[in-house]
Amino acid sequence: MPEKTIAEELRGRGISRREFLKLSGILAGAAGLMEAPIHALAKPINPVERVIQALQTKQRAPVIWLEFQDCAGCTEAISRSQAPTLVDLVLNTLTIEYHETLSAAAGFQAEEAKQAAMKKYAGAYVLVVEGSIPTGDGGVYCTVGGRTAVDLLQEAAAGAAAIIATGNCASFGGIPKANPNPTTAHSVMALVKDKPIINIPGCPAIPEVTAGVIVNYVLFGVPELDSLKRPVAFYGNTIHDRCLRRPFYEAGKFADSFDGVGARQGWCLYKLGCKGPTTYNACATIKWDAGLSFPVQSGHPCLGCSQPDFWDGGGFYQGQSAPLSRPALAAAAAAVGIGAAVGIGAAVINRSQKTHPAVEMAEAPDAKEAK
Amino acid sequence: MNWNAALEFARGPFFYAALIIFIGGMTYRFVRVLLLGWKPDKVPGKGSKLGGVLISYLKGFFIWPFIPWVKNTFTRNPLIYLAGGLFHLSLFIVLILGTAHMLVWKSLLGFGWPTLPLPIVDWMAAAGIAAMIALAINRLIHPVLKLLTGASEWLNLLFVFLPMTTGYILTHHLFFPYEMGFTIHMLTVNILLIWIPFSRIAHFMFYFFSRTIHGAQFGKRAVTP
Repeated sequence: MPEKTIAEELRGRGISRREFLKLSGILAGAAGLMEAPIHALAKPINPVERVIQALQTKQRAPVIWLEFQDCAGCTEAISRSQAPTLVDLVLNTLTIEYHETLSAAAGFQAEEAKQAAMKKYAGAYVLVVEGSIPTGDGGVYCTVGGRTAVDLLQEAAAGAAAIIATGNCASFGGIPKANPNPTTAHSVMALVKDKPIINIPGCPAIPEVTAGVIVNYVLFGVPELDSLKRPVAFYGNTIHDRCLRRPFYEAGKFADSFDGVGARQGWCLYKLGCKGPTTYNACATIKWDAGLSFPVQSGHPCLGCSQPDFWDGGGFYQGQSAPLSRPALAAAAAAVGIGAAVGIGAAVINRSQKTHPAVEMAEAPDAKEAK
Repeated sequence: MNWNAALEFARGPFFYAALIIFIGGMTYRFVRVLLLGWKPDKVPGKGSKLGGVLISYLKGFFIWPFIPWVKNTFTRNPLIYLAGGLFHLSLFIVLILGTAHMLVWKSLLGFGWPTLPLPIVDWMAAAGIAAMIALAINRLIHPVLKLLTGASEWLNLLFVFLPMTTGYILTHHLFFPYEMGFTIHMLTVNILLIWIPFSRIAHFMFYFFSRTIHGAQFGKRAVTP
């Protein structure tokens, strides 16, 4: 592990006090820190001061980044993070020891470097996982250097201080796990039970969120998580909660098609299948490409990519209130048939038990006498 | 608890099963009533049966809901008439002209239709819920109604009240996170769907039977009211 604290590292590189404070501010924002004390009575601590304190006491964290059944989209995304940038991360708070897409080394040398890093930083490194892990047929569907993804994950997880699962695939299984899940793909948290896990779902994960969570972990440890192990700071609100089209939802003004009047007026995309109301993510606030826009803003309904099993959660362009599947005509016909058959059967039994009216009349006095 | 998984169950397999039970159950009730038979008509009628049926429907749809004072039901107990009427009107508007519900019909039938603005549907829903509460209180204090009310009547009220209230809560994002509210709404809807065929809520189908038969009787005797 690097011996110097992060602040000392920076000073050694000739970073001025002004630049240091600016960086602290960026990191505080990125980590989603709020000016709120833990105890209600304590004086609120300025988030920037918290970051400064942490930078002066913490050391740079070694990171091992593994990719399994993924598209490298989350890596692509983080390379476009605006604050903190990937360069900020690599130079200031992290030492990335192994990353298949970003590292210059390849083949056995890279594998050896990873083994060395895992040995050197055992129990201290942050493991970032991108992509789901297939277990079907002995895990043969994803291998790196001749070893299966499950094997590699278990090995790396054993020595990790914490695991950050980035993207929907690593967090919840994502597209590889979608029905019928041919490779029996699993999320990280389904396979690793004994380590702190932070999920950063999304397709891809918002780069600023990935970077912010990594920074937050390095400086302050595991942040507050929700029931799906997502950081509350970024996944505390739904897209719908913070949506710029929300007033149109409240007013009941919905776009009916992608090229209609409603779409041109910027109305709510609920009828076009928006999954915003049940999707927890920071798209509507942090947005994408340096805050330029996000899907709903540019006219496309939210797909719900930061939720578990979003690929099987009903059609992307089907309103969210619609049921997930409609009964096939055959199933409905069978229900009608069974209902009718039982009804006819009951009616036949009733009729056969009914006595003739004349007999009823004759029997009536007897019945009275019996009483 | 992971509400996402619960919601998937409530919107997926559970709704599917509830819908199938609803379809099968309603068919069963329909067949049972149909096979009760029609008494052979041995007396020549004084008037037209068909005319009686037509007039019966016209009055049922257009006169009694809008000119209520021609009916004793209204003058004897205006609360039941007004609250009951409001409740049914609200139910139809919310279920057919509410955007979210239209999307359900669209996914089941394959076609959709224009809907009312949310605020109108919203006020109708609130009115419907208020009407239901008024009817429930009436059931509690009305001396005759009290005697006629058993467990199944209370369950009828409850199973309709729950989807309506949870739907209202869901639309306004009150109390629960959206997916939790959505799950509860779907669960209550599924319970209602299963309950309908085996309860008096199935009256929405038998309404047409009784109106036709009474209309035909009135027409035949030339005493159409």
